Amino acid sequence: MAKKKKTSWIVWLRRLTQTGFFLLFCYLFLQTVYHPINKAGRGVTFFFNLDPLVALNSLLASHALVGAMLLSLVTLAVTFICGRWFCGWVCPFGTLHNFFTSLRGGRAKQKLEVGGYNQWQKAKYYGLVGFLVAALVGVNVVGWLDPFSFFFRSLSTSIYPAINKGVVALFTWIYNANPGVGPARLTVVTEPIYGFLRKYFLAVEQPYYWGSMLIGVLFITTVVLNFFRARFWCRYVCPLGALLGVVGKNPLVRLKKNEEKCDSCRLCLVDCQGGATPDNPLEWKPSECFYCWNCESDCPAQAITFTSCIAEGRGRNRRDPSPRQVGAQNDTALRTEAGEKAR
Amino acid sequence: MNPLHKWIGDFVHPPKEARLDLGRRAVLAAGLAGLGAKLLFGIDPQASKRSFNPALIRPPGALPEEEFLARCIRCGECMKVCPTNAIHPASLEGGVEGIWTPILNMSVGYCDYECNLCSQVCPTHAIRQVDVPEKKKIKIGLAYIDKNRCLPWAYSKTCIVCEEHCPTPKKAIWFEEVEVLNIQGEKLMIKQPRVDPDLCIGCGICETKCPVKGQAAVRVTSVGETRNPENQILLSPGSFGEG
Repeated sequence: MAKKKKTSWIVWLRRLTQTGFFLLFCYLFLQTVYHPINKAGRGVTFFFNLDPLVALNSLLASHALVGAMLLSLVTLAVTFICGRWFCGWVCPFGTLHNFFTSLRGGRAKQKLEVGGYNQWQKAKYYGLVGFLVAALVGVNVVGWLDPFSFFFRSLSTSIYPAINKGVVALFTWIYNANPGVGPARLTVVTEPIYGFLRKYFLAVEQPYYWGSMLIGVLFITTVVLNFFRARFWCRYVCPLGALLGVVGKNPLVRLKKNEEKCDSCRLCLVDCQGGATPDNPLEWKPSECFYCWNCESDCPAQAITFTSCIAEGRGRNRRDPSPRQVGAQNDTALRTEAGEKAR
Repeated sequence: MNPLHKWIGDFVHPPKEARLDLGRRAVLAAGLAGLGAKLLFGIDPQASKRSFNPALIRPPGALPEEEFLARCIRCGECMKVCPTNAIHPASLEGGVEGIWTPILNMSVGYCDYECNLCSQVCPTHAIRQVDVPEKKKIKIGLAYIDKNRCLPWAYSKTCIVCEEHCPTPKKAIWFEEVEVLNIQGEKLMIKQPRVDPDLCIGCGICETKCPVKGQAAVRVTSVGETRNPENQILLSPGSFGEG
C-alpha cells in the first residue's frame, strides 16, 4: 500500500462546516429555554424545518404542513444535485457519529474488512417504506428514528440532564472540599468556570424525566455502534438518510476515478464513511455516499475526483454502458456518419 | 448525447449504480409492516374513544388525540423548553403509538399559568400555537381531591396550600367551612377544599405543591380536557354551574 498523503482542504472545509452546524444545533438546543418574558429562543426548530422526512410524514399523516417546513425543499433540491451531501456536511447527528467513528482504533486492514458495502444497508430503505406507508394511512411514528428527533429527544430528556447533574456535583464537591496549598485554593480557578457554565450552559433547575434511562441507553448504543461499523446509524438505520439516498440516487456531482492513475491500493475504502465502494467506480453507490471526500483525500495517486457530470461533458467514462446505451451510441454514431456523408 | 438529457434520462432508466436493488418483495413486506402497524395501533382501547387513560395529559394547545399523534414527531422540544419540568416522554400512556410523545406529570412539575412555551417551539404544530390569554382558558385536565389523604378531610388538620396556589382568577378550589370532630373528639371548624370543575383548567399546581407526599391528596387526570369532547365527566361543559 502506498503512503498516506496530507488531508485535502475539502475535508477540512467539511469538518469546519460540520462543526459549525453541530455547534449551531447545540446553541439552539441550549436556547430552547424560558427567556424573559415568556419567550422561547428564536429559530429553535431550524433543523426540524430542514428535515424533508418530518415534512413529508406530517404531510402524509395529517394532510397539513407547517409553512416553515418548506425550508426542507432546499435540502431536497440540493440532494437532487449533490446526493447525500446533507448527511456528510450538515446533519449534526451524522457529525456526532463521524466524530466517534474517527475515534475507533484498528488498522487499515481491519477497517477494510468491514468498511465496504453491506447488504444490510438496505434496511434503512425498508424502514423508510414502512414509515411512509404508515403515514399514508395516518400513523406518524417516524419521530422514533428521525435523526433530529432522536438526537434532540435524547439530549433533552437524558444526556443533558445527566451532564448537568454531573457538572453540578463535581463543582459542588470541589467547593466543599476546597483542596489547595496554603492560601492558594482550587476554588479560585473553579468558581469562575462554574459561574460561566451556570450562566451559559447549565439548567436553571436540575431537570428530571420519566423513562429517560431507556432513551439514554438507546442513544449511547447508537454512539457505541460506531466502533463496529463506520457511522453505523447513518449506514443502516437513518430513515432521513434513506430518503435522501432515494432522492439523490442519480446525482449530478459524481465520483470519478482515473483508472490509469489508480494502483488498486484500496486506501480510499479505509475511511469511506458510508460504505459507498469508492474503490470500484463501476460499483460506486451514490445513495450510500456522504460526499465526505475522504476517498479523494486519502488517494495517494490522486486518482479520485468529484465532478459534475454535466461539466465533465460527453468525454467521461463514468460507468460501463448498458447494451441499450451501447446501441443508442452506435445509432448516434451511425446517424452522424450518415449525416456527414449526406452533406 | 447531451449530458443533461442523459442525467434526466437516467431517472427513467436508472443505470446500475443508481438502482437501489431493494427487491419488490422486501419493499412490499416493508409496506405491509406499515399497514400492520396501523391495524395494531387501531385496536388499542384508546382508539375507540370510549376508554381514556387518566394519565394521558397533553400540553395545552395539543390537537385532538388522533390529529396530535399524526403530527407529533416526539422530538422533545416541548420537554426541553418547559420551565417547570412538567412535560415528560410518555411510556405506554398513549398506547404503543404514543411512546415518547409529551405528557404532563404533575408530581414533578405543573403547567405554568402564564406560559405557552411548548406551543411556541413545537415544530409540527402538534401543539398548536396559542397565545397566553387563549391558553389560560384551555383545560388540559381536571383536579380532584382524595378525601382519604387530604389533611383537612382525613385528619381534620388545617391546610390551604392547594387553594393558595390555584392560579385561575376565580379560584377553582374553594372551601366549605364545616364543623367536624378531631381525633380527641373535640368539635372544631375546618375548611375542606373542593374543586369547581367549571373553573379548573387542570394545570396541576395543586398536585405539585400538595404537602401530602407519595401520592398527592389532589391529583389531575385528563378528564375534561378541552381538546377532547368525548373525555368529559358530564355530557355538556358548564353543566356544573347550572346545577
